[in-house]
Amino acid sequence: MNSPNSHLVSNEPIISVRDVKRVFRSIKKAEGLKGSLQLLYKPQYSEHQALKGFSFDIKAGEFVGLIGANGAGKTTLLKILAGLIPPSSGTATVLGEKPFDRSLSFRKKIALVMGQKAQLWWDLPAVDAFDLLRAIYAIDQTVYRERLNTLAKLLDVTRLLNTQIRRLSLGERMKMELIGAILHWPSIIFLDEPTIGLDVLAAHNLREFLRTFNERERATIILTSHNMDDIEQLCPRILIIRNGELIYDGDPKTLTNRGQCVLKVRLMEKPTNEELAAVCSLNLSQISRPNGGKVPGADLPEGTTDGAAHVEKDDDDEFSEMAAAQELIYFNIERTQVAHILQPLLAKYRLIDMGIDEQTLESVIQRIYEQSPQTAVGASS
Amino acid sequence: MNWQWRWAALKNGFQDATAYRIEFFFEVFGSAVTPAIIQIMLWYALFQVGGASQVAGLSYNELIHYTLVSTLFTQVRGGNNDFELSEMIRSGALSNYLLRPVGVVEFTYIRGVAPKIFIAGLCLVVGIALSFFLGLNPTRILGAMGLAMVGNIIHYQLGAILATAAFHWEEAYSVLMVKNMLVAFLSGELIPLTFFPEKWAWIWKSTPFYLYVFGPTQYALGKWTDAEFFHQVLLSGLWLIGFSILVRVSWALSIRRYQSLGG
Ligand SMILES: Nc1ncnc2c1ncn2[C@@H]1O[C@H](COP(=O)(O)OP(=O)(O)O)[C@@H](O)[C@H]1O
Ligand SMILES: [Mg+2]
Repeated sequence: MNSPNSHLVSNEPIISVRDVKRVFRSIKKAEGLKGSLQLLYKPQYSEHQALKGFSFDIKAGEFVGLIGANGAGKTTLLKILAGLIPPSSGTATVLGEKPFDRSLSFRKKIALVMGQKAQLWWDLPAVDAFDLLRAIYAIDQTVYRERLNTLAKLLDVTRLLNTQIRRLSLGERMKMELIGAILHWPSIIFLDEPTIGLDVLAAHNLREFLRTFNERERATIILTSHNMDDIEQLCPRILIIRNGELIYDGDPKTLTNRGQCVLKVRLMEKPTNEELAAVCSLNLSQISRPNGGKVPGADLPEGTTDGAAHVEKDDDDEFSEMAAAQELIYFNIERTQVAHILQPLLAKYRLIDMGIDEQTLESVIQRIYEQSPQTAVGASS
Repeated sequence: MNWQWRWAALKNGFQDATAYRIEFFFEVFGSAVTPAIIQIMLWYALFQVGGASQVAGLSYNELIHYTLVSTLFTQVRGGNNDFELSEMIRSGALSNYLLRPVGVVEFTYIRGVAPKIFIAGLCLVVGIALSFFLGLNPTRILGAMGLAMVGNIIHYQLGAILATAAFHWEEAYSVLMVKNMLVAFLSGELIPLTFFPEKWAWIWKSTPFYLYVFGPTQYALGKWTDAEFFHQVLLSGLWLIGFSILVRVSWALSIRRYQSLGG
């Protein structure tokens, strides 16, 4: 094939997801013995919609980060893409095939690494497991040696290769799992929280390796992580999932817009957003109250946080009680605007406390999580 | 057929089973000696204490021979690879294997059977030595051991079919336990199947379980002609083919219900 052609081919999506939904049905058990008996003669099922209609494309060679709170549906999505479970409806196409068919050629080209899941055999040293994997994927001996050397050196586990897996520490085991997962040089790697349990240096080395692997081998990598360092340093594109819905698909830099920050204040008075916009000469859209203002601001100085409004405090002077009851107001502004906004604000209102949040990816994501409390998670009978 | 990974899996399974060498040999030894002693005590009670001269047409010596020889094949039958499958389905550990380019049912078997093959080799050596004392034909011991190994595969295939219950009910433990109890009774490892009244013989003849222990023992003891043996080998081949189709069908039908828990 000519090079222009192969360029064209590589622009085709390697992963294509169309309106994928996934429902889990599980048996619901009421409390106690009565519940156990009821289970026998009249089982009650509860359904949980883990994915509520996903569509996106990923091109060969992309490095995509998957972000979402616990239970958002990240692992479910990866399991569908890797072919472990089928979608309840919609279609997922990976490498031109339906993942759930799990054709032999498909399995040879993908890898799924789950941070919390042991894949290797505990009573054997890692080399024994790797040797079996070499045979399974029919990897040439010299190529295998080279890969194992590279990976073991990179993750600093060469001296541990002959130790029984069960004797390794959590992080060391994780590194072995990683090596076992990518020894066959897959063209798509799904990583579910791979840096869990890794020390700072190992996490850094792993990131460097993934970056190189992605660039040099043009491997497509999808990574979930709660560590925003992982995401920021590796992924030019992120997908944010909330409660089974895809709510953002794009560049993380767009989210963190440099020069932007969030000014958080609590006031004695209760001005409306409109009044505040007028006083500070801002757009109404720049002013928000997280969650209707009822959630205590986790980022504000101590004494006003953690639901103090409901807790009897030792120093219950009127002011702090009042303060805790007041709404938290967010101003999404440029860093340079802070002083301009504080001046008219302080002139008109009495300030209880304030704080400035840098627009790190972490803070942006946190705010996104806050916007829709996870109370909706659960049975949808 | 890719033999490379199969050989590697066998090697790996053997290393895994013998990771704790002492325990491994104690297990083999204990599981062979205990039932044999119980049986011999039972025969002793019937004949020497109870005063019987024959039980179901078998003399004291014949029964002792049956016990000694059948113990060899009892060592080879079974295994808990089917329980392992069921547990992997329940816990989600199956996911580790589903994404590797090998069949998970076959892979689990090959890794699990490795120590059995080693034990079969040991039993063969013991059996051939024994054949000189008991006046048996050593080549028959060899053929009988071959049949017992085929029985081991059939046993696992049935287990793998039943293990798919775990896709539907989360557990297949009780199903597999019931199967194992039936096998213990109908394979001939507790009592010779000739103890069955003639009109009930169809019960054990309609399962493949007698091919695990009773069949090989009959051949080794010279109770089956060569022709009868080849007829039984043919039958075992049919069970093998039938079950391998059922394994495929039951897994293909059930895998959609796999929950892949964990992670
Ligand atoms: N097999 C299952 N049965 C019932 N509910 C499940 C099952 N698997 C996942 N869930 C639920 O689906 C949601 C998404 O899970 P998951 O994809 O694992 O979340 P995460 O984003 O943390 O990886 C969770 O609420 C989880 O409890
Ligand atoms: Mg997860």
